[in-house]
Amino acid sequence: MSQFQKEIVQAVLIADNNVWNFKPLSDEGSTALLPLVNVSMLDYALIALNRSGVEEVFVYASLYLQDIRDHIKRGIAAYASWSFKMTVHVIGGEGCRCFGDAMRDLDAKALIRGNFILLGADTVTNADLRPVLEQHKRTAKFDKGTAATLVFKECASGAERTGNELLIAVDKQNTRLVYHQRLRANHKESRYHIPLDVFLSNSCVTLHHNLLDPQIAIGSPSMLSLFSDNFDFQTRDDFVRGLLINEELLDSRIYVTLLPPAQYAHKVNNWLSYQLVSRDIISRWAHPLVPDMGVYNLQQQYVFYKDNIYKSHEANVSKVALQENVVIQAGSHVDVGTTISCSVIGANCRIGKNCQLNNVFLMANVIIHDNCQLRHCVIGSTSVVHENCNISAGCVLGAKCVLPANTKLANTLVTSSPSTQRTEEQEQVELEAIGPSAYIVNDLTTGDPDDSDAEDTLLPQTTTLCIPKMCELQQLANVDSDCSSSSEDEDEDESRAATPLPDDTNIFLSEVIDSLSRGFREKSNPDFLILEINSSRYAYNMSLKEVNFNVVKAVFGMESIIEPPNNNVLAAINAAFKQLGPVVSNYIKSEDAMLDCLKALEDICEENELVREKISQVVHYLYDKDFVSEDAIHKWYSQLDVQEHATLRQSLAKLVDWLNQSSEDDDDGDDDDE
Amino acid sequence: MALGRQCWLTSIAARTAVLRFRCCSRVLAYLNYIIIFSIKMSSCEFQAVVLAAGRGTRLPEVLGDSPKCLLPVGPYPLIWYPLNMLSRHNFTEVIVVVQEQDKLEIQLSLEHTPLKVKIDYATVPNDSDFGTADSLRYIYDRIKSDFLVVSCDIVSNVSLYPLINKFRADDASLALLLFKSGFESDVVMPGPKTKYKPERDMIGIHTATQRLAFIFAASDCEDTLNIKRHLLKNKGQLDVYGRLLDAHIYVLKKWVINYLHRKEQISTFKGEFLPHLIRKQHARRSTKIAPDTTSELGVGTKHEDNILHYVTHTALDQKLTQTSLFNQSLSHIPYHGDVVRCFAVQAPKDAIGVRVNNTLSFLAINRKLAGIWQELCGDAHPLISPGAVVKSTQTKDIIVADNAKLSEKTSLNFSVFGPNCIVHPKNIVTNSIIMANAIVEEGCNINNCIIGYRAQIKSGSVLNNCLIGPNYVVEEGTKSQALQLSNADQYMEIDIQ
Repeated sequence: MSQFQKEIVQAVLIADNNVWNFKPLSDEGSTALLPLVNVSMLDYALIALNRSGVEEVFVYASLYLQDIRDHIKRGIAAYASWSFKMTVHVIGGEGCRCFGDAMRDLDAKALIRGNFILLGADTVTNADLRPVLEQHKRTAKFDKGTAATLVFKECASGAERTGNELLIAVDKQNTRLVYHQRLRANHKESRYHIPLDVFLSNSCVTLHHNLLDPQIAIGSPSMLSLFSDNFDFQTRDDFVRGLLINEELLDSRIYVTLLPPAQYAHKVNNWLSYQLVSRDIISRWAHPLVPDMGVYNLQQQYVFYKDNIYKSHEANVSKVALQENVVIQAGSHVDVGTTISCSVIGANCRIGKNCQLNNVFLMANVIIHDNCQLRHCVIGSTSVVHENCNISAGCVLGAKCVLPANTKLANTLVTSSPSTQRTEEQEQVELEAIGPSAYIVNDLTTGDPDDSDAEDTLLPQTTTLCIPKMCELQQLANVDSDCSSSSEDEDEDESRAATPLPDDTNIFLSEVIDSLSRGFREKSNPDFLILEINSSRYAYNMSLKEVNFNVVKAVFGMESIIEPPNNNVLAAINAAFKQLGPVVSNYIKSEDAMLDCLKALEDICEENELVREKISQVVHYLYDKDFVSEDAIHKWYSQLDVQEHATLRQSLAKLVDWLNQSSEDDDDGDDDDE
Repeated sequence: MALGRQCWLTSIAARTAVLRFRCCSRVLAYLNYIIIFSIKMSSCEFQAVVLAAGRGTRLPEVLGDSPKCLLPVGPYPLIWYPLNMLSRHNFTEVIVVVQEQDKLEIQLSLEHTPLKVKIDYATVPNDSDFGTADSLRYIYDRIKSDFLVVSCDIVSNVSLYPLINKFRADDASLALLLFKSGFESDVVMPGPKTKYKPERDMIGIHTATQRLAFIFAASDCEDTLNIKRHLLKNKGQLDVYGRLLDAHIYVLKKWVINYLHRKEQISTFKGEFLPHLIRKQHARRSTKIAPDTTSELGVGTKHEDNILHYVTHTALDQKLTQTSLFNQSLSHIPYHGDVVRCFAVQAPKDAIGVRVNNTLSFLAINRKLAGIWQELCGDAHPLISPGAVVKSTQTKDIIVADNAKLSEKTSLNFSVFGPNCIVHPKNIVTNSIIMANAIVEEGCNINNCIIGYRAQIKSGSVLNNCLIGPNYVVEEGTKSQALQLSNADQYMEIDIQ
């Protein structure tokens, strides 16, 4: 193809990858233009490509296309550092619903002529991708079926999960990807299940557990046509999974490259990673992508002081107020008595007296009044926070919000007007108001996981119900990993100590768990399950008491309850009892049996933290559904040791009181009838 | 009492011997230690144990009634190869564990072979349930120092020094050797066509440190491999090998056998004890455990059961590890503070290593032996025994044992002829094993076959890919292909085309 001209290096930037995660700011503008340390994310990606010698870039966006076009135009007019020797095209449209659609569209337009660099618009990296591209070409020469080379970055394995962490298996000889698993955010697996074939069909497979996916890849031309051929590929992960499963059928393979340790790469896919990457940029890990290098428009905007303080000349702030890791833009003003650390202040912000800001990200023109406490939050542009507010733990304020004085917020998303929410065909959700232009966006209701597949947003399937938010980061990953490892090892030891004693009770329990899990999954007839359990019972010679105890234990020992989706244990229990209720009630009939049942619950409490937290609701649920009687609960409660089960008693006290009360009411009612 | 004292002294002596080989920083710190105890130093750092009490359940076709360790591999019995390997590494004394009934036979046949080591036979009862771990437990009191355990079925020219050095350098509890598998991959199994599935081990090794993460048979897990998170957690990278061969050569610390002695329910070494020990690498000296044990039931045993009770890891050792300049990781304490450490060393790619534990590998090693003999044993041992009568002129890569008679007008290639076997004229034998006392009469064509002990091939037979059992008589003019013919399985004889 290079008959006529020198092959130019092309790249594709996909914007709008994680729109849903950036609520509510994603409702107000393109996420690609979200400022990260006062430079929009798109610019970081473009600079990264420019530094890697890319000559032609296609920015593919589906939302706010015009905004992006304007931004690019402005950048070229202002001689942004990426605008040299690189042409940028913005393409896309509202019809594009996911990453896969973008790829199919690109294929249809036939814009890509050779191997290309594929990047998310939300990737921040200082890596030189030229060697990676060269290596990809070499691999492609050797293996015609090379579809893509994925680029990963090693990270500390004890760090916070942002949804970018991976477990992959790579053929040691030729770095071919043979297994790919995205580690779920806010979830810690105790063990990984990897198909045996992966290891049997390759002589040596290296498992990498400490990898971050910065959403960088080198694509072959065949990658686009593979997307066209397989219209069910929605995300890049679908593509990887599909190719791994149908490797022979599609005759395509994916290879893996790791970035050298000195190069930085991270994807900003949610507020948590936004915080992490901001921290990394400020502490200069992404050098030369640091604030004082004039990343965007080749002019010195900040003066770099010690303790990673970047202050604009036109910012009016006393140095004492800035503690460490602070970026403060031109035109901002900070009053006396205010301390700021680990924060980014946009242009023309005003911060009043005696405020405390820690891990706060202010966009342009924000006004914070006196005596506010802000921690771990993002404030959209032109928002106003009035006096004595306390905002913490991952709050995000959209643009133009006005928080009334003395507001206390934690872990909430706030938008300025009730109508900005993208509801599309959904019915309008009534938003809770906390001020004339401040409405709480409930991130739980906006993204029902069942709808997420059908929904038009470009969210990856891995997102959980709740948007990952900013939080206190473990400062020393080492300390954390060490202490957690030791505790975990003890756990391991305990579980090991338990496993070598497969006495009959344990075997019986595990068999019942197996039966119930299967029955629950396959929705089989409860009668059959009872038969199964009874046969196990006679096989291991269990007494009726033990059976009662273990059946209840087994229900709570099912995987769906131990590791419930979204940690919503009550819903899981409800689902389990809906299906398995007849089985349980078959055993739990007499009051003694109910006592056994509650004793089992006591045991479960110790093992399962989630149940422990909700124990009173669980007991209440069982009472509601008539599994246990009131008397049994009273009896059990009175038997609980005051010292040993202090916490359990405490959490149950309310329920027992309520039971007492309601029974008195009943008595009264009876009296009235008489 | 006296015995206990002696044990204690020798164990200290052995330890000091080990210490001498550690890296400089350690040796310096240990200097005082050595001076104090050097008077009592013994001469041996490692003892060697060869386990030869196996019954060869995977070689039913060729075994006959002789023990597995006496299977003929070229001119010598199988057990000669590990013994020779140990003697190459300057071991002068080896403990050989054999079944009681086989001891005399083994003793007798080893007397005929050139061996420089002194063999100390330890007999175990003829109990079919006696596993390898049981065997080791049986000879518990003979182990006085760190020791090597070698299986009797390993044929190899590998140098054990890298393995032993790894063991010394990292103060390991266990080190094992891995070979590249696939030695027998180009050999066709004679006999009726069965789907031959090689037994494979899944072996996880941490890339940077060669620490063993797990080892188990692939057949033990179903469709998925379950890997515990903590195996990956601190180390990031883990290499999983599916095609390496565990050589069954283990270097072990003395305390390991004490621990094994305690764990009476463990019966096999490779299958049960090794995975157990590898898992125990992550065991921590728990601070809680002391008060806990007193409150729980069955206290007394619990402490004894804890592996850390056995590890000879003194406070001094701990201090040394802390102050030592040696550390594999930049951000963690050496070995992550693990006291039990297991390592795997891969043999160099060109090393020969075969485990003769099934009929296929038995055939493979015999067929290829002449070609690799030079590398395996050097010139010292002739392939054609001086007592053999070889009149044949057309031979290539054959091995002839004592007193075998190979007549003229025969074409013999890539084959092994056992003691006292007779090959009459006008025969073609390729890629085959003619075992002891077998007779091949005139005009036969034998290709890729194993002819068992005292079997007789009558004239004019054409055998291809056949297994002829011990004492079997192949009738005149038989033409067979891919069959197993033996007296044991009567039903097999019916099916002759």
